[in-house]
Amino acid sequence: MRDRPDTADLLKIARQVLRNDLTDLLPTEKRYQALMVSNAIAIAGRQLGVGGETERRELVVLRDLLGVDGQSEDLYRELSARIRAGTYAAGTPDHARMRAFLETITRRRVGESNPRALDQD
Amino acid sequence: MELSAGKTRSRLQDYIASVANCAVEITELKHLSGGAIQDNWAVNLTVAEGEWVGSHELVLRRDAPSGVAASHGRAHEYQLLKAAHSAGVQVPEPCFLCTDTSILGRPFFLMHRISGEASGYLLVKGNDDPGLARKLGLNLARLHSIQPPRNDLVFLGSAPNDPALAAVERYRGYIDSLDWPMPVLEWGLTWLVAEAPTPGKPVLCHRDYRTGNYMVDCGELTGVLDWEFAGWGDRHEDLGWFCAKCWRFGATGREAGGISERAPFYEGYEAEAGTAIDPKAVAYWEVMAHVRWAVIAAQQAARHISGIEPSLELALTGHVIPELELEILKMTLDSGHA
Repeated sequence: MRDRPDTADLLKIARQVLRNDLTDLLPTEKRYQALMVSNAIAIAGRQLGVGGETERRELVVLRDLLGVDGQSEDLYRELSARIRAGTYAAGTPDHARMRAFLETITRRRVGESNPRALDQD
Repeated sequence: MELSAGKTRSRLQDYIASVANCAVEITELKHLSGGAIQDNWAVNLTVAEGEWVGSHELVLRRDAPSGVAASHGRAHEYQLLKAAHSAGVQVPEPCFLCTDTSILGRPFFLMHRISGEASGYLLVKGNDDPGLARKLGLNLARLHSIQPPRNDLVFLGSAPNDPALAAVERYRGYIDSLDWPMPVLEWGLTWLVAEAPTPGKPVLCHRDYRTGNYMVDCGELTGVLDWEFAGWGDRHEDLGWFCAKCWRFGATGREAGGISERAPFYEGYEAEAGTAIDPKAVAYWEVMAHVRWAVIAAQQAARHISGIEPSLELALTGHVIPELELEILKMTLDSGHA
């Protein structure tokens, strides 16, 4: 058990105070840094929000695609090596499935790092 | 070595006087903020007589104490600026180079100071500017008129036989040295190998020719900046880098660097070069541009993650990678092959 408010709530209110109460008081040359802090808090909050369940689901798909077992880092290494070796190049049987997988994980990551980029789609 | 300290300042003044061959007075010497790669100073001086008589507003560029491996030192940058200036490219006019380290401790050169705005975010806020796009196209064509072999540019080495495949190898090497799995970049690089265009005649590429790296004053282009990555390559590399979506600073609808449509930029280029642009090759190099920027972003993030250079800015740069990768996936979908 953890005490409330939880991590996401704390990050959210901390970011609000920074943006609404503090940024305008800073000298112009320091505002950019405040915006960067606010952006970092927002990314951290979104990464927390997505949680481990999504990554677990992605790994299930990836293990199935690769036909091997292993931890996240090892699986992504194996995947990268196979892509470089041409295993999923255009015209290979798993090309479309692998591309769809890459798009899924990339969209999830854009959703965490800069969701506005998804709006422009 | 602090330039404004009395002794150093007088040594610099004496040195300039010896080059100008007459009395010179430094009237102002002020440090300019700049990147980690350079050490830049504003220098105002008065020349008493001769060829350079009068007052001049200059910039002194000196090597930083620790150089960045992939970028040129000041001596090479000076040669590149001179070559570009002679080819008619709008650049700050270079004055002279000093490689004698007894003067300021490290090599430096002086060039004329240009004025204007360089911030990409501010430049794309203005109205659509086809005139500026045309001028940028023209200047790029003039730069590309510089072709090997050139005795003044021997430090660039020989031109790669296949610039596209050479770039793929370079970026794969960077990814390997990061030891950080990047499957989407690998996907893009595999596509870049399969789709590599027939290499064209090598030209001098700027390699960072984009909005944010040129100066505009009252709507006029005053100079192209940041020459440290220049080298022999394919003309479409610079064209693709300029137009790539990741360098439009959010003005994604204006495909020429966020300032205009492509047409005037291409027209300005083609009219000056007398060579047609291959739009398919530009599209290819736009994929390469996204891969390159993503690899650079990963290198910058790694500087933070490793603890060598803790920095919020470097940390956040790592978070531009996903959107670059999404773009790579989109751009490599519709070729009919991938």
